[in-house]
Amino acid sequence: MLTLKQLQFHYPNSRPVLKSVNLSFKPGGIYGLFGKNGEGKSTLMKLVSGLLNPKMGLCSLKGRSTQSRSVATLRDLFLVPEDFELPGLPIQTYEKVHSSFYPNFSKETFYNLIEEFRLSPNQVISRLSFGQKKKVLIALGLAANTPLLLMDEPTNGLDIPSKSQLRRILASYVDDGKCIIIATHQVRDLHSLIDHVVILDNAQVIFDSPLSDVSEKLWFGKASKENEASALFSESTFGGKAIFPREDRDESEIDLELLFNAVLTEPTQINTLLNSINHG
Amino acid sequence: MGKEFDISRIVQFIKRDLTLQKNTITIGLLVGSIVLFLLYLFNMVWDKRLSADEFLGSFSLCYFPLGIFYVYTMLREFQNPKFNHSYLSLPVSNLERITAKWLNGALLYTLVFSLIGIIVGILAMMVGIVVFGAEMHVTAFFSENYWKVVKLFLLIQPTFMVGALTFSKNRVGKTLMVLGLLFIGFLLFNFIGFGILNHDFGVFSGESSGSEAFDRASQDFSVLGRWFYGLIFGPLMLVVAYFKMVEKEV
Repeated sequence: MLTLKQLQFHYPNSRPVLKSVNLSFKPGGIYGLFGKNGEGKSTLMKLVSGLLNPKMGLCSLKGRSTQSRSVATLRDLFLVPEDFELPGLPIQTYEKVHSSFYPNFSKETFYNLIEEFRLSPNQVISRLSFGQKKKVLIALGLAANTPLLLMDEPTNGLDIPSKSQLRRILASYVDDGKCIIIATHQVRDLHSLIDHVVILDNAQVIFDSPLSDVSEKLWFGKASKENEASALFSESTFGGKAIFPREDRDESEIDLELLFNAVLTEPTQINTLLNSINHG
Repeated sequence: MGKEFDISRIVQFIKRDLTLQKNTITIGLLVGSIVLFLLYLFNMVWDKRLSADEFLGSFSLCYFPLGIFYVYTMLREFQNPKFNHSYLSLPVSNLERITAKWLNGALLYTLVFSLIGIIVGILAMMVGIVVFGAEMHVTAFFSENYWKVVKLFLLIQPTFMVGALTFSKNRVGKTLMVLGLLFIGFLLFNFIGFGILNHDFGVFSGESSGSEAFDRASQDFSVLGRWFYGLIFGPLMLVVAYFKMVEKEV
């Protein structure tokens, strides 16, 4: 669905933000795009949505370059940016002036979500908190029914109950024809939602793997004196969590934060182990 | 696959702009109407009548500045970093965006403000008759001069569109500054051109005063000149505005 080939980008008079990035996103998946602050997550989202032009390489959605910002491409994607402002209109007016641009827009989904987010169609957006405004935009994005939904730090500004509510809604939204990419540095917020992890570091993709592969090859647990030596990565605190090669162990629950830290610290070791799936 | 130029989408986009800027537009038009009303009345105080020239003069005084501010209002989203993500990722092609902005900021605005000019004019005349006994005088609003004023606005409006699309801060001031510099540049160009092509007028003879030479040079002296400036400040600026829209990055 979405392909990035040899994508390179840098801002004027600045270090490279993305160096030769190759990625492929398939329908039916929720992708978590992780990375430390300033590692190019938001830039990648903007490149995908055509808001930035790559210095080299290509970004194509359903075979069409996103750079041209053509109607056909823009109809297939919806971006929920990290920092935004919405006009001071009632929610229903905001929906009316935007829904007509998306051919598959579902009013029913929009108003169901607005209700689920405990908002009212008559509420004026300018009087809402940032978190509530984000909910309005997320509702619009989900109701637009675009094959690709891009969300940049969607949990920023949301309270704790709203974060789990968002996870539940997103999980029910995705189907075989849709793809969601969520960029965040708050790895823990996406627990149990995503099924594919992409990690950016030092302007490059250092990890790109489905969680099924992670689960198959890695085991997440607590380090002890007996197994400490075989740990691929462990937290520095005594008795802290660690990642081991799974081998014959039972499947464990993936700790995304631990995986993220492990990949940043030991990218080669983790990737070598995961790549052995394909070769052995 | 969606069409890249669709009239219904343009109409939808204009509707969206009008809805989003409803409050600003309403206040702007109200202020414009009040100022226009006062100007009409002021013109009636001395001779108890509102001549066609006074009518059009007052109208132009409001029509141009309001029209320029309207252009900037319509393109506010484009430069605002908190709004432009959503604005630019909306499924509307660049050609449709620029067409919608021009139709809205030039044609629709002219139509609406002309209507307001007529209504306010009639109202001012009625008040003038009642308050200081002004004579009832039917003025031909859509005179030749009116069309000249509209033509001039349609010609300069795209330049302000380019300004609104180019500058992110102090947009009006910066556009006026660039226009001022351009005006001086073209004045000098005209002056030199006039001096070279019309040497017989004696611009460089030393007998004519400098200001007289500048007066002559600043006047439009040929049909070719009219086309030249007309094309530069009209369609060419629309093309520039289109490419500004295409090149915009967030």
